[in-house]
Amino acid sequence: MIPARANRVQLAVVLLLLVVLHFYVRPRLWGPRVAPDFLFIALMLFAMRNGPGASAIAGFAVGLAADSLSPAKFGAGALAHTVVGYLASWARAVFFADNPLINAGFVAVGLWLRDLLVLAASGSGDNSFLTELAVYSPLQAITTGLFALLILVVFREWFSIRLDT
Amino acid sequence: MASASERSYTRRDTVMFSVCLALSLVALFSPSAWGLGLAASLRQTVLAPLVWLQVQAEEGRTSRERLRAITVERDSAAYLAQGLPSLLAENERLRQVLGLSKRLSSPYVAAEVLHQAQATDGRTLLLSAGSRQGVAAFDPVIAPDGLIGVVLNTAARTSIVMTWAHPEFRVSAFTVNGNAAGVVAPSSTGEGALEFRGVPYRDSVPVGTLVLSSGLGGVYPKGIPVGTVTGVVKEQAGWERVYRLQPSANPGSAAHVLILVAPSGDVSRAFPSDSALNAQRLDSLERVRRADSVAQAAQAAKAERAESLAARRDTARARTRAAARPDSVKARPDSAARRAAGDSAR
Repeated sequence: MIPARANRVQLAVVLLLLVVLHFYVRPRLWGPRVAPDFLFIALMLFAMRNGPGASAIAGFAVGLAADSLSPAKFGAGALAHTVVGYLASWARAVFFADNPLINAGFVAVGLWLRDLLVLAASGSGDNSFLTELAVYSPLQAITTGLFALLILVVFREWFSIRLDT
Repeated sequence: MASASERSYTRRDTVMFSVCLALSLVALFSPSAWGLGLAASLRQTVLAPLVWLQVQAEEGRTSRERLRAITVERDSAAYLAQGLPSLLAENERLRQVLGLSKRLSSPYVAAEVLHQAQATDGRTLLLSAGSRQGVAAFDPVIAPDGLIGVVLNTAARTSIVMTWAHPEFRVSAFTVNGNAAGVVAPSSTGEGALEFRGVPYRDSVPVGTLVLSSGLGGVYPKGIPVGTVTGVVKEQAGWERVYRLQPSANPGSAAHVLILVAPSGDVSRAFPSDSALNAQRLDSLERVRRADSVAQAAQAAKAERAESLAARRDTARARTRAAARPDSVKARPDSAARRAAGDSAR
């Protein structure tokens, strides 16, 4: 198999695994507000290996799915995931090294930024906005970052991430 | 300097990002009915397998099978679950739902709550029942503790619920003793609380008063517990008071809910007061105790019977020994003679 195609297949396998984890395993883990967001990990892994445009489209698709399943304000998730997907791909290409810890931290920061954008776009009240951003979002960011680290360590061979996009 | 191919690549990325951003903004600022319609159609088509997967996981987590078993053999399951605190807590929740469904006179559909990862999950909930089960928009959603919210939108097998935490939630309500009426809305000052607004200044409501849905407005039936008064938020002298309410039900932790598909009349009988519930619990405890005492009596009778049988056996043995005693007396001189013969031989 051609290496590029092999890489794409490997990425697709990991993304599929994360989608299954999100919808089948996540409901069994802790509280829904702090359980890791596997779909977001999938988006970030995709963004790390693809260009900003493709990542923006992937973010839009993930956001649309999130909005369809929890439409507090339809479009807020799509907007937030599009921006985060685009920025993640762009920032990953510019700043970050292939270190699993740094990448996990990157995922955690991205999740917090996603929550900030979702809450801002959906027009939350003052106190709930602060509570979400100060308590629940950081907790979910930590659990998501840890699971991202686990995924990156387990599939380390597959994720020999390229810096060139 | 960037090459022509790199520049076009960057331009292409920017165009794709801009298109996605524009589409997101269109979705964000379009009428909410469009967004909800699109969300419902996505749930029915592209996301249907994923929702199905989550339903399976949720069923596994909340042990639907155990619920069915409990429905058939509640008492025995309760005994089995006694030693395990988590099972006991889940059992209690399911019993509450089961108890509520028995007390409800109006038709309902039971559904599971499929919690999502978004930060706004508590404001809207995804339920595992939809139009195929008879759920329609504006059907009230309740938990054993009280009101959760109202169905906003339905798909074939799922529905979206606007909970009381949603900024647009409103319900007409009155106090349990009927001396004050107003509108309940989410608190603008703090998360996780409700406000009982528009209460006339002359009607003071003491702390601890239960507030129920009034049935006015035609969406929520009368008598669903909404919250308990915990204090006054503000008051406009001579005009109105706004009270803070502790919500009766928590959408964030709700796992099973009931959707009232044709709400009508007064449902307050489905939510008996604490004392009535305590009486029911005490009654069931009494029944368990009675069953225990019957079992203990049976055990005691069995033990007594075993003892009397043992005593009879002992007396029978004693009689046998008594009958055999003359031989043993006869045997003694023989043994003494044998011992004497041994001594003389030495």
